[in-house]
Amino acid sequence: MRVTALARCALLFPLSFSLYGQPVLETMANEMDRNFRVLREKADPAPYYLSYTITEEVTDTAAATLGTLTARHGGVNRYLDTTIRVGSRKLDNYHRVRGDRAHFTSGAPIAIDNTPLAIQRRLWLETDRTYRSAAERLINIRTNKQVKVAEEDDSDDFSVETAAVHRAPPPRHKFAGPEWESRLRRLSLEFAKFPEILSSQISVNAQTETKYMVSTEGARLEHGRGFARIVISAHAKAVDGMDLGTSDSFEAVDPSGLPPDDKIRAAILRVAEDLKGLLHAPVVEPFVGPAILSGHASGVFFHEIFGHRIEGHRQKDETEGQTFTKSVGQPVLPEFLSVLFDPTRRKIGTVDLNGWYDFDDEGVAARPVPLIENGILKTFLMSRSPIRNFAQSNGHGRRQPGQEVVSRQSNLLVESSRKVAETRLREMLVEEIRKQGKPYGFQIQRVTGGFTTTSRMGLQAFKVIPLVVYRVYPDGRPDELVRGADLVGTPLASFAKILATSDRVDVFNGYCGAESGNVPVSAASPAILVREIEIEKKAKSQDRPPLLPAPTETESSR
Amino acid sequence: MSRALLALALALAPAVFGQAGGDPILGAMRDEMRRALGIQFDNLEKPYYIEYALDDARIFTALASAGGLISATPARFRAPSVQVRVGSYQFDNTNYIGSGFGQRSEMGAPLDDSYAVLRRYLWLATDNAYKSAVQTIARKRAALKNMTPTDAAPDFSAVKPLRRLEPVPVMAFDEALWTSRLRSLSAVAAANPSVTNSLLEVQAVRNVHYLATSEGAEVRSPEVLIYVRARASAQAPDGMLMRDAVVFHSLDLNAMPADAEMSRQIAAMSDNVAALLRAPIEEAYNGPVLFEAQAAAQLFAQVLGRNLALTRKPVVEQGRGGGFASSELEGRIGARILPEWMDVIDDPTQKEFRGRRLFGAYSVDMEGVEPSALTLVEKGVLKNFLLTRRPVKTYRASNGRARLPGSFGANSAGFGNLFVRASETVTEAALKAQMMEICKTREKPYGIVVRKLDFPSSASFDEARRILGQPGGSSQPLSLPLLVYRVFPDGREQLVRGARFKGLNARSLKDILAASDQSYVFEYLDNPAPFAIMGAGSSLSETAVIAPSLLIDDLELQKIEQEYPKLPVVPPPAAP
Repeated sequence: MRVTALARCALLFPLSFSLYGQPVLETMANEMDRNFRVLREKADPAPYYLSYTITEEVTDTAAATLGTLTARHGGVNRYLDTTIRVGSRKLDNYHRVRGDRAHFTSGAPIAIDNTPLAIQRRLWLETDRTYRSAAERLINIRTNKQVKVAEEDDSDDFSVETAAVHRAPPPRHKFAGPEWESRLRRLSLEFAKFPEILSSQISVNAQTETKYMVSTEGARLEHGRGFARIVISAHAKAVDGMDLGTSDSFEAVDPSGLPPDDKIRAAILRVAEDLKGLLHAPVVEPFVGPAILSGHASGVFFHEIFGHRIEGHRQKDETEGQTFTKSVGQPVLPEFLSVLFDPTRRKIGTVDLNGWYDFDDEGVAARPVPLIENGILKTFLMSRSPIRNFAQSNGHGRRQPGQEVVSRQSNLLVESSRKVAETRLREMLVEEIRKQGKPYGFQIQRVTGGFTTTSRMGLQAFKVIPLVVYRVYPDGRPDELVRGADLVGTPLASFAKILATSDRVDVFNGYCGAESGNVPVSAASPAILVREIEIEKKAKSQDRPPLLPAPTETESSR
Repeated sequence: MSRALLALALALAPAVFGQAGGDPILGAMRDEMRRALGIQFDNLEKPYYIEYALDDARIFTALASAGGLISATPARFRAPSVQVRVGSYQFDNTNYIGSGFGQRSEMGAPLDDSYAVLRRYLWLATDNAYKSAVQTIARKRAALKNMTPTDAAPDFSAVKPLRRLEPVPVMAFDEALWTSRLRSLSAVAAANPSVTNSLLEVQAVRNVHYLATSEGAEVRSPEVLIYVRARASAQAPDGMLMRDAVVFHSLDLNAMPADAEMSRQIAAMSDNVAALLRAPIEEAYNGPVLFEAQAAAQLFAQVLGRNLALTRKPVVEQGRGGGFASSELEGRIGARILPEWMDVIDDPTQKEFRGRRLFGAYSVDMEGVEPSALTLVEKGVLKNFLLTRRPVKTYRASNGRARLPGSFGANSAGFGNLFVRASETVTEAALKAQMMEICKTREKPYGIVVRKLDFPSSASFDEARRILGQPGGSSQPLSLPLLVYRVFPDGREQLVRGARFKGLNARSLKDILAASDQSYVFEYLDNPAPFAIMGAGSSLSETAVIAPSLLIDDLELQKIEQEYPKLPVVPPPAAP
């Protein structure tokens, strides 16, 4: 049985990776010691810290549309990230110089065989390249420090942490390729029942990620996890040219944890029906008034307006907006709300969370971090870059291979002590609409994502991009689906207006893109009732829908 | 119930296109094109020409270094491209600064042979292409309102539509075998302890190219290509980066050189790098240079080959853009550009040379035009250019040389098998003796033999940019010479490094003094990047240059003036 599984794996990826040669971690540690020893002895400025991380990604992707495959690929890759710190913890080459961020690592591809020479060569070449730019930047920083005014936050550049030693490689990558191909072909045909949909796709992606890390502080880590994801998407064009899209996704640690066909089919039908509805829906007008954000939408809302502003490194970067830098110990949310970031939490109910890990990308063990307790800000998300009053990491230094680590979000969990049933929350919305004398309010049902700017140069604002939005009328009329709405706002004004939450938590799983690349995250929240949100019109394409009708087979030539 | 029904529909699909004329891809193209010709936006013009092309490709790529595999990636994709021209052959939406082609659909192209889904894809892509075409032609007309056009050539030339459906053979490729072969070869490259960085790459392309035009052309041509590329580099004691590369190609997946032969040449490449590390720098040289064997072909590929295609300047709004590089040979038809005893012929129809398959042979170009042998230079006089369906100046008709995607809605011209022939030749030994004789007369201590140019270049993009930006360089500088030897009167040879040619361009070819009686075949993958730099761009064209060794007078080599990085503080890791 085991032999068959291996044989199939070998057929898909005709490689013998990890099957021979000395363990990667050992090769990495030996080469690190050799390089560090010589650099300490001969290089000026000398490094005080060196670490290597190799991220191994085994991936499989398949996609289909209308009964035919449109993509099928996969492979094994390893990327090397090298960190060298020259100078001292007090001041090193990573020191932030007014918005200029350091970037030394390259995420260089490295051998997927455990052939020592191949790995050593690349480690050596990257160490040399990284050292040169690290030394150069330190010299520039020292000059810069002398000519600029003193910084407000004079914390160290690198914290002292206990070096972790831990080996727990993730389960072997398993992906039933042919089975998924035929499932996707079959499932994607569901969209054929909706002639108004221009294009549609269903894709599956499975990835097993293993991280190998060694540092001169003694860290020796081999850990990782799986990711599996189904994404359903559909696109159509309204008569006025507006591009409309709906989508849904399922995430799990392992492809076997993805839902069965009937559940996927139901999601496809929902995506298609929503899109069909949107095609005929009226376009929104700009609006300010009360709204309910579903748990899904509210998760993204918190991720954008709150999550990005409590990332530690922003608190000492003087080009950042620093909305909450001086708010520790003070109320920043209504007192019935608490926010926890917990990368150790793997599930909520039966839903796998996307933002978990055992160790962050600086080798610091993951732990739950209560950010807000009863509305009071307690701390920040910390990497090993200390800020005033927070000298230690709390395991939130993260990156995509090839990027430098900064503090990032993990699993954001919103907890509420003012919970009501969803039906009651809706009654409260109607009451609020009446109280404000508004003609209607909004129910933001599904969102695709959002973005925010935290920089002082930009607007301190956020945008959440809804897919499915309803107008809710106070007179008992049925809810009305609308299109072309974006949800906008500014952070501080928005928090004060949260009135209550539902008692049912919903999860948004996704990938967050920021300075250190894309990292997997989750946001789980109950639905929230907000006294006032602002809806603005979405930018719209000027192109008309296709001029010719869709082809049908009866038109074929003879 | 519904599931069963849909599955049945899927099973029936092949039968439907089966009736439509055999090939589901061409069937979908033909049927959708017929419909698309009727597309019209309000009262704007209809398309006068539509072209559908599709590459149905399986590409396997693997990388390895120092005995370790870096990646082995099989990829399967179908890449359709759609062109819509509105207006007329005389004046259309191309040749304008804002023209672009190859519209994609918002949906993924089907990998299965689905007639219906491919039609749907083409429907959406054609709609995008048509909308963009009518907008582009309007902008082009507006731009011309205030200008007197300088180039009265039509925008597109008509051709007799070609119908050429080649059978698709089974194209088997053993990925596992090549993966392990590459791993072993990469160990060979790294075996020389002086070589600190090396990379091996194999790519096998199995493609079926489809083309259908509204003029009635239908082409199906299978294309197979495999290459192994090896590169090695190291830093000389003064910091200068020395490198060498060797490439093996074949149009037959089973006709690559044997492992022993590849190993031998890869080891030689590493030895070259090691030898260059110890070689003295050539400070300055002025005099005769002997381009031996492949170096002569590499020289012709660059200084003649690249200038045989003409550039058409697009319509540009007043005060915008400009600076389009033009051929050094433009306007020189009828002028002597080589000695009168030399001819240059491009012959893509010649499939073999001395029993070996010629790499630049092709039967139909990207635009569905069949090439025939073309005399470019006769008795030293320039007779022809390489042409596509985009007219340039007075050249109106294509001669089947569209080989790479070009700019502003057209394709670029390139050659296939470029034969450089000499009617007066001497032996290799006599050629060298002639050089030494000149050196003696001019009291020069040594002559120069070049055995290899860095073309296609294995330089990094940064390095290529530096070479292009060197002061005193021409707009099309020659790639660096890799293997350059001083030859002393006693016959002794000495490898030198760190020099480049100054001012060597198409005009220098008039100073060719003599050619050898041996012809050498140099094969390479051309791409639009400077020095055809390896790995640049996503399009490649297979080419060959067949040339004798050449002696050229009055060439100048000068030292490359540049700052070099220090050597690494840490010595390289030793082999275990």
